[in-house]
Amino acid sequence: MKKKVITRRDFIRVAAMTPFAGAFAYSIKAPGEKVAARKTKVVLVRDKNALISFKKPDPDIVQNMLDDAVSTLLGEKDIVKAWKKLVKPSDIVGIKNNVWGPIPTTKEVEQALKRRIMDAGVPEEKISINDRGVRKDPIFQNATVLINARPARTHHWSGMGGCLKNPIMFVPRPYDYHGDSCADLATIWKEYNLIKRTKLNILVMLYPLFHGIGPHHYSDKYVWEYKGILASQDPVAVDAIGVQILQAQRRQFFGEDRPLQPPAKHVFLADTRHNLGVSDPDKIELIKLGWKEGILI
Amino acid sequence: MGKNSKDKKITLGGLLPQEIQGWKAEEKDEIYDPQTIFDYINGAGEIYRSYNFKLLLARRFIKEGQPNIVADLFDMASSMDAFGVFTHDLEGEDAGIGQGSTYKGGLLSFWKDHFFVSLYVEEETEDTKNALLALGREVSSSIKKEGEKPDIVSLLPLEDLSEKDVHYFHNHLILNYHYYVSDENILFLDQKTEAALGIYEAKDDKHYLLLVRYPEIKKASHAYESFTKIYMPEARKSGIVQTEDLKWTAARVKKNILIIVFGASSDSYAKDILEKVSKKISQI
Repeated sequence: MKKKVITRRDFIRVAAMTPFAGAFAYSIKAPGEKVAARKTKVVLVRDKNALISFKKPDPDIVQNMLDDAVSTLLGEKDIVKAWKKLVKPSDIVGIKNNVWGPIPTTKEVEQALKRRIMDAGVPEEKISINDRGVRKDPIFQNATVLINARPARTHHWSGMGGCLKNPIMFVPRPYDYHGDSCADLATIWKEYNLIKRTKLNILVMLYPLFHGIGPHHYSDKYVWEYKGILASQDPVAVDAIGVQILQAQRRQFFGEDRPLQPPAKHVFLADTRHNLGVSDPDKIELIKLGWKEGILI
Repeated sequence: MGKNSKDKKITLGGLLPQEIQGWKAEEKDEIYDPQTIFDYINGAGEIYRSYNFKLLLARRFIKEGQPNIVADLFDMASSMDAFGVFTHDLEGEDAGIGQGSTYKGGLLSFWKDHFFVSLYVEEETEDTKNALLALGREVSSSIKKEGEKPDIVSLLPLEDLSEKDVHYFHNHLILNYHYYVSDENILFLDQKTEAALGIYEAKDDKHYLLLVRYPEIKKASHAYESFTKIYMPEARKSGIVQTEDLKWTAARVKKNILIIVFGASSDSYAKDILEKVSKKISQI
């Protein structure tokens, strides 16, 4: 295998804090740099039977997967008690989903989340599920808690669409954030007071898109049944793991290393430039539950 | 929407049929401009904006028991930009439609005159592939004229260059998409600059040739200064440097065109490429 040579193009990327191929920047740490003792937790749960048919999730299995993920993430076996760590009965809760036609968050995931929020004591009238209408939705306007749930997919302009990008609909003109391949998407989280309010990030990987074509950046051909769900309280960490899985699937499918195009640098810049969360794999504790075949990470 | 937009819609709509192999057009077309395109196309709308697109007409075709077909017809205003946006994604097989086409995974794209056409089916089958190709041929025949390619593309030497490896664009975000140079816009690319990138592959050699035409000679010189200062500071005078991967990068300005070779296998080869292109530029 040829040894990777670091060129000036790589240095220019690193100077701009833009790791390529996932985690390049972390391989050139300064000697003696301390690694934080406490790692950010991300849970990956997979179930072989998560899909009834192509792109059709099984609601009961999805509920179990989400319950396992949230219980493990919060270290609380009782799922209602676990959710009570996230929401209280007086909260107003917005579930920020993603309605993109070919690969939405899915009703199954949305309803599973809503059910547990209600189990934790939040009345139904204080819960809303919304995407493109969040700016006009009174529940979202007054939300004390946000649950951020969206599917993972490659994205023509930002490399990957994941949890970090999902709040873009809080912005009046989303295209204002398109500069430099959406490099500074993390600023939305600060500008719209999302950091503290977002208690849980769910990156749905039941049937992710790992490559896109054409204006709509979609073909069934590039969807694979991964049957997984990632959960974390850190939107950067959950996306960083998602990027690794998408890249691994691309490598497997194309038979060669084909980095995301463009690279999902907004994920890494959310850490290195904006301090929103953790993207360094060495600082993420990834807990894997369930089905292991084809796990890719 | 103003009267002109309505008229445009009628003109664009007239280029698409109402029916193809049993798929019938939905009653209402949708039309988008550079401000509204994100309501229809996710982040990829930036691609079309970067090529100065004017109007997009979307028509959906429906047939019972079959996946829908989505036809997107982009009026790019110039054949150069129609060609350019087509070169953004050249993966796939040549379908022999329009002035250049690709087909892959249920998506047929082609350009002709100042139009870029994308025909997409939600699920690929033998029937849908046949319908897409038939629709493509029909749309192509309804666009009567052919358009010219940007002449800067003709300055790329043809040896070891496949048509699939030529990209035409304006701004640095698209350059970085095809060949990463720098996050910063060190070449001062904008909507008024025209760039052609050729990716040359031969035995044991892969190099990139970038040509950028600026509106004025002064701006080309300014870009050369910026590039050499940031990218090859140790070779600002000579304009040629051996990079860390032992390949050669070389740059030169000829008239209002900046020429840069990335990744040449030797210094003499890099100089030879610069010389060839400079001669071509002298002749225009």
